[in-house]
Amino acid sequence: MLWYKSFRELRTITLVGIAAMAVACVFIVMYQQTMRDHADAPMTYIAYIWKSVYNSIGRDLFVILSIILGSGSLLQERAHGTAGFTLALPVSRRNIVFTRAIVGYLGVVVIGSVPVVVLPIASRYVGQSYPVLQAVGFAALWAAAGAVFYGFSFLLSHYYEGDYISVLVAVPALMLYGVLLTLARAAQLHMVNIFGILNGEDMPFFNETQHLLVAPLPWLTLLLLLCVSVTFVYFASRHIQPRDF
Amino acid sequence: MIPERIIHTSELTKDYGSFRAVDRLNCRVRAERITGFLGRNGAGKSSTIKMLLGMIRPTSGSGTLLGYRIDDPKQSIEIRRRLAYVGEDKGLYGYMTVAELIRFTRSFYNDWQPDVERRLLDEYRLPPSRKVKALSKGMRTKLALLLALSRRPALLILDEPTEGLDPVSIEQLLQTLVCAPSNGTSVFFSSHQLSEVERIADDILMIDRGVAVLDMSLEQIRENYRRISLGFSTPAPVLESICGIETMRRDGRQITILASSNAESIAQLGRERGAVDINVSPVNLREIFLETVQDHNRQDQHMHPEREDALV
Repeated sequence: MLWYKSFRELRTITLVGIAAMAVACVFIVMYQQTMRDHADAPMTYIAYIWKSVYNSIGRDLFVILSIILGSGSLLQERAHGTAGFTLALPVSRRNIVFTRAIVGYLGVVVIGSVPVVVLPIASRYVGQSYPVLQAVGFAALWAAAGAVFYGFSFLLSHYYEGDYISVLVAVPALMLYGVLLTLARAAQLHMVNIFGILNGEDMPFFNETQHLLVAPLPWLTLLLLLCVSVTFVYFASRHIQPRDF
Repeated sequence: MIPERIIHTSELTKDYGSFRAVDRLNCRVRAERITGFLGRNGAGKSSTIKMLLGMIRPTSGSGTLLGYRIDDPKQSIEIRRRLAYVGEDKGLYGYMTVAELIRFTRSFYNDWQPDVERRLLDEYRLPPSRKVKALSKGMRTKLALLLALSRRPALLILDEPTEGLDPVSIEQLLQTLVCAPSNGTSVFFSSHQLSEVERIADDILMIDRGVAVLDMSLEQIRENYRRISLGFSTPAPVLESICGIETMRRDGRQITILASSNAESIAQLGRERGAVDINVSPVNLREIFLETVQDHNRQDQHMHPEREDALV
């Protein structure tokens, strides 16, 4: 039943995230003609979707929602006065932390999968088409890269007690990470660029001209990203074990 | 099998930085009894309870609860499986409804009694479909009590259980607690309502500044504790402290003594020293509490003059 507790805690933000992502995708598709007409250079519908969903609005929304979903721990429960009730249950703190982590991550995956459903359906409605497999490919990239943002925020929320302190710390930290990626040496290491993995930009598995995923996804890299996220969760759990509540 | 001593602490200590909340606490709580856990605000009651539940780690010392070590995380889970706890703040998940929270809590325990749950739901008039965050403080307390009392745990730990309750609910709760030992449930509860404690407790554990200052059955307290007033025709002499004298106050021609035993010998001593008016009377828990805590404060201030806490 710890699953149920975590589900209830994350239900609202997950549903809001799903709705926000769906609305953003629908909005992008519905106004595609207007936006493409006003673009500096002509672009295909596929390129427009990539630029709008996977390289700007959709991606940024997804990153922020991943960070928000990660921001919740026993420390926040202490701030709300419910930690005593939770800790009096006959379960280990590790169990509480990992259950929350898994349920939250499922929320990240679901939000990241919204374009898979919305884009092909909405595209058909405006007389366009967007390949489902492309959307699935990007959803896989988002699931792995989003896990890192989520895990980072999750770890921070086990260090800072305030409700959204972890979000306020995670966002500038990721902005700093983005700046560091522009440094010459880091720019050569494609696979440390998580933002690049999110949208495929400058990646060997992405065709910049067609704006399509063209080669097999970097599964090993994606697996490594998941491992990084699990490591964050592990350290969050270790940090919370000896704490006094 | 439940051990005879359901709670046993040895030199249990908790420091928060330089502040010592619990100071080498040694206590033994008997099984199938109701133990009142008394102390002023900040005396270390909640810290002690939280250490027993594994929520905070002892700085030093050790303790067992139901035979399980409190500082071992795995054994701590067994402890929590076998006891029911209502915390001081009664913090419950506001986003769940009453029914959802009951269902959620029930899923963790094998000793849940659905008939008791239904009875309490009815008695407390808790609306099952209402969100917990929409309940009043008193109703939240009732819900927290329902979650604890709907089980048949080996031990019931309650931290200020009557706070925020109306008189009828307090009465119902006290009746429930009185019956608990006959069902095999020991009760360990803290309260500032000394009259309630005196009504239902079998044993008293009193702490002040993290130190146990009284650990005795209420029966022993009633039998042995006496207030002895000695009136003299001249200024009261200085009496030497003999066995049984807990506190002694000299005021003009009057000496007032709180004795934990040996009342007759103390009265005799007063007589020998010229007391013309000797009055020996029983004392209630409130008087013992105030005297003990004040005396402990005086001793403490004498030993640590840097502490500026006011007396009760």
